Amino acid sequence: MDEDSKPLLGSVPTGDYYTDSLDPKQRRPFHVEPRNIVGEDVQERVSAEAAVLSSRVHYYSRLTGSSDRLLAPPDHVIPSHEDIYIYSPLGTAFKVQGGDSPIKNPSIVTIFAIWNTMMGTSILSIPWGIKQAGFTLGIIIIVLMGLLTLYCCYRVLKSTKSIPYVDTSDWEFPDVCKYYFGGFGKWSSLVFSLVSLIGAMVVYWVLMSNFLFNTGKFIFNYVHNVNTSDAFGTNGTERVICPYPDVDPHGNSSTSLYSGSDNSTGLEFDHWWSKTNTIPFYLILLLLPLLNFRSASFFARFTFLGTISVIYLIFLVTYKAIQLGFHLEFHWFDSSMFFVPEFRTLFPQLSGVLTLAFFIHNCIITLMKNNKHQENNVRDLSLAYLLVGLTYLYVGVLIFAAFPSPPLSKECIEPNFLDNFPSSDILVFVARTFLLFQMTTVYPLLGYLVRVQLMGQIFGNHYPGFLHVFVLNVFVVGAGVLMARFYPNIGSIIRYSGALCGLALVFVLPSLIHMVSLKRRGELRWTSTLFHGFLILLGVANLLGQFFM
Amino acid sequence: MSSTAMKKKVLLMGKSGSGKTSMRSIIFANYIARDTRRLGATIDVEHSHVRFLGNLVLNLWDCGGQDTFMENYFTSQRDNIFRNVEVLIYVFDVESRELEKDMHYYQSCLEAILQNSPDAKIFCLVHKMDLVQEDQRDLIFKEREEDLKRLSRPLSCTCFRTSIWDETLYKAWSSIVYQLIPNVQQLECNLRNFAQIIEADEVLLFERATFLVISHYQCKEQRDAHRFEKISNIIKQFKLSCSKLAASFQSMEVRNSNFAAFIDVFTSNTYVMVIMSDPSIPSAATLINIRNARRHFEKLERVDGPKHSLHMRMR
Repeated sequence: MDEDSKPLLGSVPTGDYYTDSLDPKQRRPFHVEPRNIVGEDVQERVSAEAAVLSSRVHYYSRLTGSSDRLLAPPDHVIPSHEDIYIYSPLGTAFKVQGGDSPIKNPSIVTIFAIWNTMMGTSILSIPWGIKQAGFTLGIIIIVLMGLLTLYCCYRVLKSTKSIPYVDTSDWEFPDVCKYYFGGFGKWSSLVFSLVSLIGAMVVYWVLMSNFLFNTGKFIFNYVHNVNTSDAFGTNGTERVICPYPDVDPHGNSSTSLYSGSDNSTGLEFDHWWSKTNTIPFYLILLLLPLLNFRSASFFARFTFLGTISVIYLIFLVTYKAIQLGFHLEFHWFDSSMFFVPEFRTLFPQLSGVLTLAFFIHNCIITLMKNNKHQENNVRDLSLAYLLVGLTYLYVGVLIFAAFPSPPLSKECIEPNFLDNFPSSDILVFVARTFLLFQMTTVYPLLGYLVRVQLMGQIFGNHYPGFLHVFVLNVFVVGAGVLMARFYPNIGSIIRYSGALCGLALVFVLPSLIHMVSLKRRGELRWTSTLFHGFLILLGVANLLGQFFM
Repeated sequence: MSSTAMKKKVLLMGKSGSGKTSMRSIIFANYIARDTRRLGATIDVEHSHVRFLGNLVLNLWDCGGQDTFMENYFTSQRDNIFRNVEVLIYVFDVESRELEKDMHYYQSCLEAILQNSPDAKIFCLVHKMDLVQEDQRDLIFKEREEDLKRLSRPLSCTCFRTSIWDETLYKAWSSIVYQLIPNVQQLECNLRNFAQIIEADEVLLFERATFLVISHYQCKEQRDAHRFEKISNIIKQFKLSCSKLAASFQSMEVRNSNFAAFIDVFTSNTYVMVIMSDPSIPSAATLINIRNARRHFEKLERVDGPKHSLHMRMR
């Protein structure tokens, strides 16, 4: 009787429950079809043909010697790899991921795909974020946030592996949340994922208005040979401007104040081509139709533009830094007229921005699925995060350091650092045009993701009808237009949406799920509870810090 | 006819390499040892002991394609081979490149049948169909069937397409056996009554040697269309294991909280499988019912002996 209660399998290594490896140690020689012949619910995992073929192969193998190939199934009879299952005596079947499936990518491609997906427009706000936190503290926070989000991303990646008895090969993180927390988990992960997407779309609208404005202005000025020195800034060939010098909290600068509004010259053009008043509405004509496309595969082809934009930005930043030179002074806790302290209390703003900058947790499982060597997933993820962190550090530090501080205060660094260059700067004009074009192709993709997630959950259908999709698009576009009109501060939009969606999808849900799965296996130790509880607290503090600092 | 006359035969014939040995092994659960697989043609003297449908004996012969020595042996033994044949099953390899030759040998076998056993039933199996592309299978089989029917006149033949890698082999042999059982429709009618009386979910009648399903009755839709073949495979594997211990399989009962299944000897040619989904009915009751039914069915089988071949339409 004791033998009957012992498990038929040897102990499966905890936590490393690879459901889709062809590791011979995990192949079991038993065949148990999960069948309930009396109940009505269908539990079939295997097609009928595959099941009866399995029965035949079993029988035929008894008719010949073990090395005899006479009755061995020929290749054309064996089901395709989608139909092949590894059975366990516990009655469940796991699908085999075809080893020679054409969609397996080498590590370098996976790392690049992750880097490409993570590199968003947050890169434009990193110098501002460093300014808000202080130079030294800013660098420390970038490193720490990178490590933190990397650990949480690792938790997300591993969350599907610790689910026993279920085939999780095509699950994404919301499915895992639904498994652990039921409908609440599904809906909360959906809502927070939508926050990040719609937040990104709003930022895009603001930025696109900005870039379109500057591009149009550049062309207008070039064509009409207008030479406007319309803002306070440095002199010289490499001009850096301070669009809103009165924002300086230590408002003792005696420099002349500008309202920062672009209507100051009173030209007819400036009336019709205004960054906040008219362009957000012009964009509706361009982008709302694009959002209503049924399929986004056309836009997915342009992802290479994002890579080119980032590389160009890196080049631009390097060039500007070489031209402007470094202007760094270290004041540790006190601020001076032109410099900011090294440690500031506004640092949560940087951590909020970074939460969105390092955010990939809603699609990391899908991205890693196609990695050829799954055992290298953790290493590849770490390398990708390292690359992303280095890119952000490079851009942020260089812009911050090269910002010409004697005439301008470091406080002038804008949440979109391209705003610190006049619209007549050719290199920056090229950058703006690139980014404008790239964002025009990514915006419909984001809209498609919002539609798929929202419509899929509510209606069960990605395209329930033109009217539903149109109404959704109107709401999303409306949010963007309103923000661009009344509150075009992308730094704030990024940090609030980042901290909010990061609270759930980066800090709370992965840690909670890990703790729950450990508890179910009976392996939860107090150190783990302490550590993950601390992570959750950090996430909450991150969000609260946005409001109070 | 004298009872000491030669037993009636089932001839399994076809070109060398057309798959007869594998087919026989699979249908009759015979182990194929590597060294018995010959490099030359089959001389089938030793395979005379497989009892099939009571008193039929299975003979395997290679037909055509041998060297001159075999050709002569075959020709000289022709009358012996083709006398007292109840059934001729001829296997064609669908991939064969020598269609003309195959047809020629087939026709010469038919001549011999016409001379020696004109009442024999003829079945043609177009085998190894898994090697043909799926969308072309129906077309190719139709062509062959027309040719074969034409060539077989005045005898009539029934054609099947088969492959050991799908359900067609089992279904073809089940159809063949169905046509060979005397009185099969009366058996089916009685089977239905039997099932309804004992309140069974499903009752199956198997041929004894091959566990091919001859007939079945089910009281409601069952989910798995391939269950007959699967049961047959499972029992044949069990029989193989039994034979290793020099034991022979007689009966089996499988029971859990949801159902009970009984497999038992039924008549001299058949096994029965009874499936009850009411677990409250005790085994003893069902076994008594089966025993009583056995007597009744034996009487049925004895009334029209196997020597009568009634013309049965294929189901």
